[in-house]
Amino acid sequence: MRAVAIAGLAALLAAGCQREERDLRLDPPVTAALDQVAPMANAVGGAPPDVLGALGEPYEGNAYNLSEGKRLYSWFNCKGCHADGGGASGPALLDGWWRYGSDPVSLFVTLRDGRQNGMPAYGDKLTTEQIWQLVGYLRTVGVSSASFAAPSRNDEMQSRPAENRAPASAELGTPPSR
Amino acid sequence: MSAASSPPLDIDIRHEELDGRLAETWRTRPGFWGALATVDHKVIGRRYIATAFVFLILGGILALAMRWQLARPEGRLVSPDLYNQIFTMHGANMMFLFAVPVMEAMAVYLVPLMLGTRNIAFPRLNAFSYWIYLAGGILLWVSFALNMGPDIGWFGYVPLSGPQFSPGKRADIWAQMITFTEIAALAVAVEIVVTVFKQRAPGMTLDRIPLFVWAMLVTSFLVMLAMPAIMVASTSLILDRLVGTHFYNPAEGGDVLLWQHLFWFFGHPEVYIIFLPATGMISSMLPAFVRRPVFGYLPLVLSMVTIGILSFGLWVHHMFTTGLPRLGESFFTASSMAIAVPAGVQIFCWIATIWDGRPVYRTPFLFILAFFFTFVLGGMTGVMVASVPLDTQVHDTYFVVAHFHYVLIGGAVFPLMAAIYFWYPKMVGRMMSERIGRWVAGLTFVGFNLAFFPMHILGLQGMPRRIYTYQTDVPWSGLNLFVSLSTVILAAGFLLFFIDAVRSARRGEPAGENPWGAPSLEWATTSPPPPYNFARIPVVTGRNPLWDERGDMPVASGLRVDRRELLITSVADAIPEARDSSPRDSIWPFWAAIATSAMLIGSIFSPWAVVWGSIPVAITLVGWFWPKGTPEDDA
Repeated sequence: MRAVAIAGLAALLAAGCQREERDLRLDPPVTAALDQVAPMANAVGGAPPDVLGALGEPYEGNAYNLSEGKRLYSWFNCKGCHADGGGASGPALLDGWWRYGSDPVSLFVTLRDGRQNGMPAYGDKLTTEQIWQLVGYLRTVGVSSASFAAPSRNDEMQSRPAENRAPASAELGTPPSR
Repeated sequence: MSAASSPPLDIDIRHEELDGRLAETWRTRPGFWGALATVDHKVIGRRYIATAFVFLILGGILALAMRWQLARPEGRLVSPDLYNQIFTMHGANMMFLFAVPVMEAMAVYLVPLMLGTRNIAFPRLNAFSYWIYLAGGILLWVSFALNMGPDIGWFGYVPLSGPQFSPGKRADIWAQMITFTEIAALAVAVEIVVTVFKQRAPGMTLDRIPLFVWAMLVTSFLVMLAMPAIMVASTSLILDRLVGTHFYNPAEGGDVLLWQHLFWFFGHPEVYIIFLPATGMISSMLPAFVRRPVFGYLPLVLSMVTIGILSFGLWVHHMFTTGLPRLGESFFTASSMAIAVPAGVQIFCWIATIWDGRPVYRTPFLFILAFFFTFVLGGMTGVMVASVPLDTQVHDTYFVVAHFHYVLIGGAVFPLMAAIYFWYPKMVGRMMSERIGRWVAGLTFVGFNLAFFPMHILGLQGMPRRIYTYQTDVPWSGLNLFVSLSTVILAAGFLLFFIDAVRSARRGEPAGENPWGAPSLEWATTSPPPPYNFARIPVVTGRNPLWDERGDMPVASGLRVDRRELLITSVADAIPEARDSSPRDSIWPFWAAIATSAMLIGSIFSPWAVVWGSIPVAITLVGWFWPKGTPEDDA
């Protein structure tokens, strides 16, 4: 009984640390390793870098990284084409449909190298860490149920419920036409 | 009704038997569950005080960490992120978990004794208040241990603390910790007001109330009027962060400055919630050390009431640099400076008391002298920062840090330490060491002034608050090193204080009923007092009962001994009105506090926690108020 309690507390500790950790300066070797994605030949899907698992998936459930991703989304003008996720000249991000895959590796390659039909490459404008932060954030915007770590609303006009109030759109949209 | 069937009154019982019968009715049951269920204001007061001092130690360790970090340029002890958490934890902990609770805790212990009653009003609420306070403190410190400590400053300004710029749950922990401590403080405030108004010993008219009790009465009203503002603020912040309301989002019609108004409408009275009890302590302790009644009872009471009222009219002086209208700035400069008038009246009354008396330089009196020097200096810089042009220059610099530590440590902690040395014999039954006490007073006074005075200069040199380090090319390193080294003296004084407090509990010299020869009622019973405080309720005939009645004190009798019973008296003249029952021990306040804590912590994560969490709260409250068939149930 006591062992269970201690184990539970330890798990809580680990979870708490993980979710709130703020790593402000990565080691250079870690940054280099974070770039080592192995996409499939068509640049959709593939193997994520091993270091992500070793770090405990810091871009999936960490509140600080997700919030940084959201900040980058607006600083690098993702809004210019995708709006607040509803889509404009670029495709919507909230409707659950992804042209080039929604897994982390696909999104990473999309951001780093760009895609056809107008998605520019950001590999020379963002650090590898920042790209992963954006990937993590993008994977929270269209989900049907939010995680505790997801960012909350910004201090601006609201066009959609905040990421921690998911789902942002009531139902799955129709597949976008190419 | 025949004598056989009527309940036993204290007049029917032989004097030797009375103590045993009362003790049986009022005692705390032994064992773990008995300790959890107790509603004795003395037990809860002691717990409250001890817990608050544990938080003082924890907050002090954080202060030492900050000073170590700042001792030299480019310090590497803590990271910037951890430093943000540390200074926030230090401030929030010291204000919400130490300063306010410890003052209320002293009142929980002392006010019923000073008023000559047997327990505080609403004793179960009192127990609930302690558990809620403890839960809030644990929430904050466990979060800090989990790297989830708040990092937004103890004032939690939006937009920094808002949803956009404070990711994770750190700011929510801060906001919810406030909810905990505010519930606890409001509960105690209500108890004190009712105790003071309705449970005074017969004959204790309004102009005979001990000054510490007056101070706590004014403080309690301040708590009741100020704390709702911060609860509104912290709750709306949590709503902004969790469910996306827009109280502080200007783009959707919210207002960022609203936060500062709400916070400081609480935050400035908060300063007096800490300071007024300290003035009450001084006024109540001084007579014992100068061997005469305090000079100017009426001006002292009126100045406390005046400070209480004025304290709600000067919150904007915290916001001089936010770009307010000039007229507003002038008004709040004037009102801020006006508070120097009642504060000055108090100081002069105390000086007159000492002047006209024959001072006995015991440890508490040394702390009172330390208070005078330090607090007056802090008050001077207070008048300086009340003026807009100077405040604009030194806003958010170490000058302000120096100023508020002078008024808080000088104005509240020194009187508090005097009070601990003074009332420790009453609470524990043993004296603290006079020899060590002199060392403590000397070390803390010298250490404090050496550590904090140079901060004025650092502030004038432009060193900003809350920076985690500074570069080698700014001329601050020498003074910072001096400050950090002086902190060691201050810390040594506190360490000695805690050693003395722990040691004296076992090995101190036994204190009699009234070791200081003090005049107020708490010294009319044994040290420590029995569970029922007074075997017979004293009757008060003057302002200094133990000095006025050199022989035996007159007492009131006729209370039942088979159930917990109190004497209720009228508000103004303390004329006996009724006998009323006082609740027995109950475990339900503890469960209610657990249920409330679960609901409040859950509501950081999901708004539904309020819905589902209210069910256990309702169940525990039903258990709390369900009639138990005890004699206390009949009115």
